[in-house]
Amino acid sequence: MNDFLIPQHVNSFHRANPVAKLLCMILLFMLTLFTHRLDFVFYQMACFLLLLLLFSGHRFWKISLIILPFLLVFIASSSTMILFGKGDTVWWKWGLIQISQESFYRGIHIGFKSVTFAMEGLLFVLTTPSVALFYALMQKAKLPPKYAYSFMASIRLLPMVWEELLIRRNALRIRGVRSLRGGMKWLGILKLYMVPLLAQGIRRAHRVAVAMETKAFDGQGERSYYYPSEYSKSDIWVILLLSAAVAAALLMSILLPPFGITDVRYR
Amino acid sequence: MMTELDIMAGVQELRLKFPGEESFVFKDLSFSVRRGEKVLLLGPSGCGKSTLLQVLSGIMPELVEVPMKCKERIVPKSRGVLFQDPDTQFCMPYVDEELAFVLENLCVPREEMEPRMRQALEQVGLSFNQLHIPIQSLSQGMKQRLALASVLLADPEVLFLDEPSALLDPEGRKQIWEAIHSIADQRTMVIVEHRIEEMLGLVDSVVLFGPEGQVLGQASPGRLFSAYREELGRFGIWYPGVWEVFFKSHSGQLLLDNQMEDISGLSLEPLIELQQFRGFRQRTTVIEVEQAEVYPGDFIVITGPNGAGKSSLLLSLMGLLPAEGVYRLRGKDMHAAKSGKRRTEQAAQQIGFVFQNPEMQFVADQVSEEIAFSLYEEGYAREDISSLVRQSLRQFGLEGLEHRHPYQLSLGQKRRLSVAGSIVLDKALLLLDEPTFGQDAVNTFAILSLCEELRRRGMAIVMVTHEEKLSDTIATLEWKVADGRLVSTKLTKRGQEMAFKRRVGNRRVAGHE
Repeated sequence: MNDFLIPQHVNSFHRANPVAKLLCMILLFMLTLFTHRLDFVFYQMACFLLLLLLFSGHRFWKISLIILPFLLVFIASSSTMILFGKGDTVWWKWGLIQISQESFYRGIHIGFKSVTFAMEGLLFVLTTPSVALFYALMQKAKLPPKYAYSFMASIRLLPMVWEELLIRRNALRIRGVRSLRGGMKWLGILKLYMVPLLAQGIRRAHRVAVAMETKAFDGQGERSYYYPSEYSKSDIWVILLLSAAVAAALLMSILLPPFGITDVRYR
Repeated sequence: MMTELDIMAGVQELRLKFPGEESFVFKDLSFSVRRGEKVLLLGPSGCGKSTLLQVLSGIMPELVEVPMKCKERIVPKSRGVLFQDPDTQFCMPYVDEELAFVLENLCVPREEMEPRMRQALEQVGLSFNQLHIPIQSLSQGMKQRLALASVLLADPEVLFLDEPSALLDPEGRKQIWEAIHSIADQRTMVIVEHRIEEMLGLVDSVVLFGPEGQVLGQASPGRLFSAYREELGRFGIWYPGVWEVFFKSHSGQLLLDNQMEDISGLSLEPLIELQQFRGFRQRTTVIEVEQAEVYPGDFIVITGPNGAGKSSLLLSLMGLLPAEGVYRLRGKDMHAAKSGKRRTEQAAQQIGFVFQNPEMQFVADQVSEEIAFSLYEEGYAREDISSLVRQSLRQFGLEGLEHRHPYQLSLGQKRRLSVAGSIVLDKALLLLDEPTFGQDAVNTFAILSLCEELRRRGMAIVMVTHEEKLSDTIATLEWKVADGRLVSTKLTKRGQEMAFKRRVGNRRVAGHE
């Protein structure tokens, strides 16, 4: 599982400071959020998809595997707006469901937006190891070590929880838990899984916390850092690349608009 | 008064009580350790040894709040604690990052970090070419040594060891104690441990606690073991020679008594037949069995190093891993079942399975419900259920606990309950995954006695274990697993003796030696 997220090769995106990258990503999120031009959002999606494929450092099939579920996100987020949104140019109507030209464009607009968010987020996640992110946050963003280390410690516990989930599933199969039927079945199954996993998890977290504190960790105060977090030329490259992507998207939306709609909002 | 200058850790008139508990863990306990002394705290499970260690090391009440009072307490400034569980002492994913965590806390400059890491690793007998190694890829014994190395980074004067080898296999146990031996010089140590074979040359004095948290005596190891032999046995402590003493005792004799065997009703048909059997995990073969059979009345121990495939063998017998080859359970071809789910269902009808961690298999909120669970599932009548449950509670020593939550039981009780729950519907076989792991001597013997009792009634016992003594004593067969293969199935001495009485055994002696 851990190996899965180790990139094949590294580039400026991986070398850049995670805090700088995070700031860029937040700006991009805002830009995407406040874009009402359908063509612009469409090209943003396309550009970031391209960046993801070119610069994430992972193999093509791996990225495709991760992106595939976002097709569902697209369908889910756009369909509600398409089917139930307001609009004047009605294409099709059946009871409550009404597809109009306006609602259709707004729908795919939302779909493109959510996929764009996903691409931007993935670009960050796939190029940033969690340990590097928290080290950078501690050193560059003054995040108190207690939060940084509680996150890093809990990430380490996740595979153990996963393993226990599998053991529990086996155990329940052997015990032959079959009689759970009817409306409350899900609640019963949830309880059968949650109780032992939570009990183990809480105990484990407590033990890790005590072990950390006995190693002179107090959560604040002075500390040195094994991984120094510095800004570098890579940060500039990343900023340039991301700006170029946005500029390209804007330019394309003006020169080659596939939809030609400047504002999808309904007035 | 603790005015002596060289007292490194101690308490005077300690009173401590856990919230919600009736009785005190300690009532006016005074205890101290001098510089350079290596003290072992011994006592029955739940006597408070670990609690005392946590009070002395400043974990209680500073990190774990408990109501306590004492006249005076000395907590050493320079101290380190090594805990029991190798998996819950690290907060970082890689060896170097974990060691760096300690050095960062101490504000050690970055340039000095790597040399200090290497030095600490060398002290505990670990050497890596490069230090950026995932901790998950280490064996449990290596992890525990890494934990010791991370404690040593701060160069503590006083070391507190809280059952550091309780969850390790014999190999890991040997290694961690060798490492502790090698760094013991000049240091003060307070140790809590159940298994004490490995540390005899190390400790200067042993403190024996009674069940109520009172100190029964303190002496050098040799003197204490001879003076308190009876108590040690009663408290379930793994002192040297405990196996021999147990097998000489009345209950131990009964356990090994082959005359007790009633073989008249025993079927000569094998319960399990395996040929060219292979179990897979993610399409790689994890266990391969050329040929093997299990007969009623067998007591099989499966031995082998960690990761060799012992647990995989048990899981594939339960149909929980995909498998191919011949697998007949009471003559029925298991691979005729189409889905894995169906296979597990069929296997579970004949085979009881006891997981390493009993909590993972509990399904009910009460001890009695836990035992009754399978009976309800099979649609037994209410009267039958309550009588079967009562009988089972008596057999497994759980009377008076029927309304407790399974999680509130002691370690030994949990283990017995897990066995009770899995065999309440009569099973032909019982598979156990390291049932004596981390248990004290009393509980280990209790589990063995239970298994032997079930075996005499004609059940076959198949047990994965690291306990080397079992193959020389109670087991009738030893299956050795190495590198994902069952490499030998051999009758033990006891098995051979029994084989004379059973033709089936003779047949196997010829076929398998």
